[in-house]
Amino acid sequence: MSSMIPTLMTLAADAVPAAPAAVSVVDLVKAQLPTLITIGAALGAVLGAVSYLIYVERKLAAFMQDRIGPNRVGPWGLLQPIADGAKFILKEDVIPAYVDRALFLLAPCIAALTTMLAFAVVPFGPVDNAPSFHRFVIVPNVDIGIVFIFAIGSLAVYGIILGGWASNNKYSALGSLRASAQVISYEIPLGMSVLGIALLGGTLNLEKILMNQAIGGIGSWYFWTQPLACLIFFVAALAESNRLPFDLVECEQELVGGFHTEYSSMKFALFFLAEYTHVITISFLTVILFFGGWHFPGIAEPGTAGFGPMLLKLGVLMSKVFAVIIVIMLLRWTIPRFRFDQLMGLAWKVLIPLSMANVVAVMTVLQFGWSTWWLTLTSVGLFMAAGFIGVQQAQVALNQGTRRAKSKDHGPVAHAH
Amino acid sequence: MEIPPLLVYVGALIGFVVTNMILTHVIGPRKKTAVKDMPYESGMDPVGDARQPFDVKFYLVAILFLVFDVELLFLYPWAVSAYLPEGQASGIPAELRGTVFGVMLVFMATLVIAYAYAWKKGVFKWR
Repeated sequence: MSSMIPTLMTLAADAVPAAPAAVSVVDLVKAQLPTLITIGAALGAVLGAVSYLIYVERKLAAFMQDRIGPNRVGPWGLLQPIADGAKFILKEDVIPAYVDRALFLLAPCIAALTTMLAFAVVPFGPVDNAPSFHRFVIVPNVDIGIVFIFAIGSLAVYGIILGGWASNNKYSALGSLRASAQVISYEIPLGMSVLGIALLGGTLNLEKILMNQAIGGIGSWYFWTQPLACLIFFVAALAESNRLPFDLVECEQELVGGFHTEYSSMKFALFFLAEYTHVITISFLTVILFFGGWHFPGIAEPGTAGFGPMLLKLGVLMSKVFAVIIVIMLLRWTIPRFRFDQLMGLAWKVLIPLSMANVVAVMTVLQFGWSTWWLTLTSVGLFMAAGFIGVQQAQVALNQGTRRAKSKDHGPVAHAH
Repeated sequence: MEIPPLLVYVGALIGFVVTNMILTHVIGPRKKTAVKDMPYESGMDPVGDARQPFDVKFYLVAILFLVFDVELLFLYPWAVSAYLPEGQASGIPAELRGTVFGVMLVFMATLVIAYAYAWKKGVFKWR
């Protein structure tokens, strides 16, 4: 062992021959300064946003259910998130005796890490006229941005399944099993729905997709030509984030807390953080992919420089993202939870064929050089066809159900005759 | 020397997560009792093992996911390069577009056949 250390040191010295001896820590940090500032700003913003989103969600839930909601800590309960955060740290960190300790501790780390890592390529402000010391996207100009997000996003399933397995608890095991099936099922429509945008814009780079829409004006927002893809993307992303109405993973009546039943204090908080960060990320993605990002006609146009326009663009982007988040929260108390077979059926029998048909429509329109506005029509047509078939199938199932129930009722009577 | 921003970010995240875990481990109180150490089962004494064999359906879904995900990986490069806007030379040349279009249609048709087969076999039926 002691003979290995000098060898390693010479190896290291050989590996960086060009580096002058005076690459001090200060210089190294200085070179990363824009990155570090961006990371600091992004992490701070995300963490702050998460804690206050929880407050907003509780207030909104209270409003929708005719309650008051948190109102004890500070004026209107505004300090509630801080109190919650302090409590998370100060509470006992229980690790039950029957768990697989290493994996049990690893799972919340993976969950938080992967969802926050996916945020790396999301431009959370106007990248083109960002100040010099700060750039509004942690990793700039990633050409495979969308693929990166989906790849990292599917790693999040490891956090869930490790947490469920390591807990050695039946609720956790069932919850994580459901979660992994759900997440991988919705991964496919999610990936397929953005193929249309990749075809139309010729890029997977989020900054370029945003610029395409900003330069083209409001008519070129991909929502107008890809409304169906937008819907599929939104539904699939919601299912990926395991939120109501797709939270079968942790549905309280059946599985208590699902895969995080055994987790307490900060480990539980990390799972929570992961869920909310995911919600923020998908809201950003929905806005950037389909609603023009920071672009808004007359308020935030491309080509304007300076501090004022930058703030305006930031404001427009944030308001759009906040609107999407509010929609997600409202959905939570509007739509009841799905049954597991309905959930899997929605992914495999509805969203996947629809998104595939959408891709075929886009490639056909582009191949023959037709107007892209035909896509709006196809989207609406596909949506209506799906709705029609769905209603008919439901009717058939209902009829069969009543017939079966009837024959059951009359069964013994018929027998007696 | 600029380190790739992604690596810096990963480092920062690992630092953040590990700090959190250590902080709560050090600060929080600790009091072990026999009941606290049990797996939580709504207050009942746990029966049997949690790590039981599970339904083969989950396995089928995983396999199908693999098929479709790999198919998506094939589709992404094509989608990015197939119909680039005017003036970008890196895409598929115009004279090959018809052929590529046909090939992609065949590719999708194959997929649809596999999908229909899986549906017929009842992979998507849960119960």
